[in-house]
Amino acid sequence: MNVLEVKNLTKRFSGITAVDNASFSVSEGSVFGLIGRNGAGKTTTIRMMLNIYFPDEGEVLFKGAKIEQDFKDSVGYLPEERGLYKKMKVIDMLLFLAELKGKKGNAVLKSVNQYLERFDLADRKNSKVEDLSKGNQQKIQFIGTILHDPDFLIFDEPFSGLDPINTNLLKEIILEMKEKGKVVIFSTHLMEFAEKMCDNIAMIDKGKIILNGKLSEIKGKYASKNVSLNYLGNISFLNNHPMIESIEDFGNTTGIKLKDENSDQELLKLLMANNISIKKYNVDEISLHEIFVLLAGKEAANV
Amino acid sequence: MFNRRTLAIIKRELRMKLFSKSFILMTLLVPLFMIMIFSIQYFIQTMSGDQRADLVIVSDSDEILKKVQDEIFQTSDFKSGDLSARIEKVELNLFGNKLDEYKSDLIAQRITGVVFVPTSALQSKEVKYYSSNPNNSSLFYKIKPSINKALVEIYFSGKQLTQDEIKFARKDVEISGFRVSSDEKVAQEGYGNRIAMVLFSFLLYMALLFSGSMTMNAVVEEKSNKIVEVLLSSASSTELMTGKIFGTVIVEIIQMAIWLSPMVLLLTTSWFFIPQEFMPQMSIGYIFYFLFNYALALITYVALYATVGAIFDNPQDAQSGVWPLMLLIMIPFFIALGLESNSQSSFAIIASLLPFASLIVMPARMILVEVPLWQILLSCVINIVVLFGIFKLAGKIYRIGILLTGKKPKWSEVFSWLKMSA
Repeated sequence: MNVLEVKNLTKRFSGITAVDNASFSVSEGSVFGLIGRNGAGKTTTIRMMLNIYFPDEGEVLFKGAKIEQDFKDSVGYLPEERGLYKKMKVIDMLLFLAELKGKKGNAVLKSVNQYLERFDLADRKNSKVEDLSKGNQQKIQFIGTILHDPDFLIFDEPFSGLDPINTNLLKEIILEMKEKGKVVIFSTHLMEFAEKMCDNIAMIDKGKIILNGKLSEIKGKYASKNVSLNYLGNISFLNNHPMIESIEDFGNTTGIKLKDENSDQELLKLLMANNISIKKYNVDEISLHEIFVLLAGKEAANV
Repeated sequence: MFNRRTLAIIKRELRMKLFSKSFILMTLLVPLFMIMIFSIQYFIQTMSGDQRADLVIVSDSDEILKKVQDEIFQTSDFKSGDLSARIEKVELNLFGNKLDEYKSDLIAQRITGVVFVPTSALQSKEVKYYSSNPNNSSLFYKIKPSINKALVEIYFSGKQLTQDEIKFARKDVEISGFRVSSDEKVAQEGYGNRIAMVLFSFLLYMALLFSGSMTMNAVVEEKSNKIVEVLLSSASSTELMTGKIFGTVIVEIIQMAIWLSPMVLLLTTSWFFIPQEFMPQMSIGYIFYFLFNYALALITYVALYATVGAIFDNPQDAQSGVWPLMLLIMIPFFIALGLESNSQSSFAIIASLLPFASLIVMPARMILVEVPLWQILLSCVINIVVLFGIFKLAGKIYRIGILLTGKKPKWSEVFSWLKMSA
């Protein structure tokens, strides 16, 4: 069931359309990825979902009704550009963030102590935020996001600027929340993260949603007749080959689109006959990155 | 507008500000600073009065010289040695040469001045004073009555007037100010209310400038360290702005109440002794009015300063954008100081009712004169209406500005935000 529906959202800033008629929906208990390159309109979309910006057109529905404060209270939001009050004590900062969400008292205090313990920050609870390392400040920010036990988690570019330890910590949090049945929405330009973690995605480019749906279905649709190849050697002999529809070089991987879906074994033989050293040969496999380049590239070509 | 989120923000502001070192320091230092300013002024005044004056009194008439000398000898300044005067007779046409003789002494300040009282002064009362510092008014007041008395006496002598009549003619007019108020009390007016007016206006002016720029910097900081987006995911921009403004207002009112507490004790108890002429005539009700008016002024100006903070994302740009607001505080302050000369002129009345100016001019005027109740009420109504207007306007600009970073916006862009849906 869809808990959150984004319907025909449009937002313009001084004549520039940042988000253009965007629609998608997020279903209960899922991990949802809003994917696109920098400046595509992800943050503006998220801000409209949180009522930080009012849309020029369109609406965001929470369980069928327009979003109000009750939705805001049930969201934990980690913005791309994070910030805390530097002069506040860690404990006061966290209690303040929880109080804004309507949670206070001993239960919150207990929860703060548990999280600080878990993130190895129990001895720093009376330190000022500015005295903490950047990595530890990020941990405090995570705790502030999940402390009030939100039903929705919205992360805007969650992995940008994180050190490897905190990247793993955040992944852990996302998976844990998923297991608890919470809805996790995150925006990212890193396709591999989205690919590994999302159930559903919406792909946004130049403010428009260019792809939207279940990740497995999308991949199934784009993967048929596709061979994902890692190799050493020269495959230029495949250009203009009657068996091949197109070849896209994605750097590490080359995606080969066949004209006939039954010709994959024939292609393998052809490559071996030409002494190509094959490292990986995946039939009906396509990465999100390949899909994105295919679609965004096409869009760009259409303009 | 006021809900648990606003209250949480207000609580945070209070906790961070009331226990901060700068609050405690300011609360203690401002009264000390004010006392210091008034003491220095008092010291300078008494110092200039204490200066010794050596005068040469020149005339072409023996009679004038003798009378003037007799009068000067009777003054307390002469008796205490603060004033010395010697007389010298010079023919009218030779006065120029005499003055040349004294020139070097005057420039070297071996003598303070030469007073020339020609016989014609008996008709015109025109006296000439030559000095390297002819504007010294305290010296002028010391010798003027003596010369006047001498001239009057010579003029009337032989005109068959009694001594009493001559005494009356010699006497200068003395004006004592009495304050007539609507409660039918008539009280002699000292310097107290004038000092209080300067003091209260200065406190208001300084506190508004200070709390305004503090708030502005706090908003710029919230914007530049990006906490604001986290806050906006929980509270609306109006709640955030309201919480911030009212947090500041409460802190500043507490501070002002602390500053005014000696004044309240002065008015209601006999714990302090100050000379009667320095004692201000005001009711305790005025102090409450002052605090109420201060609250209105704070909300208005702090909202405007917060808005300027929201427009810019670094303190330098914000400083350069804040000057129109500073003028809105400074101009009324100088109008208030100017009230001393006439607080009942139509300009004073208009200024005490004008939006913004009223917040500073009206409390100053009320110390000096009895302002009709309708004017006080009207100014309060005007200020409250302006306050709501400002709040609405500020809310719109704040909402858009607070999340914009990067290029410094032009004023035309800021005005266009007012039309946007945010």
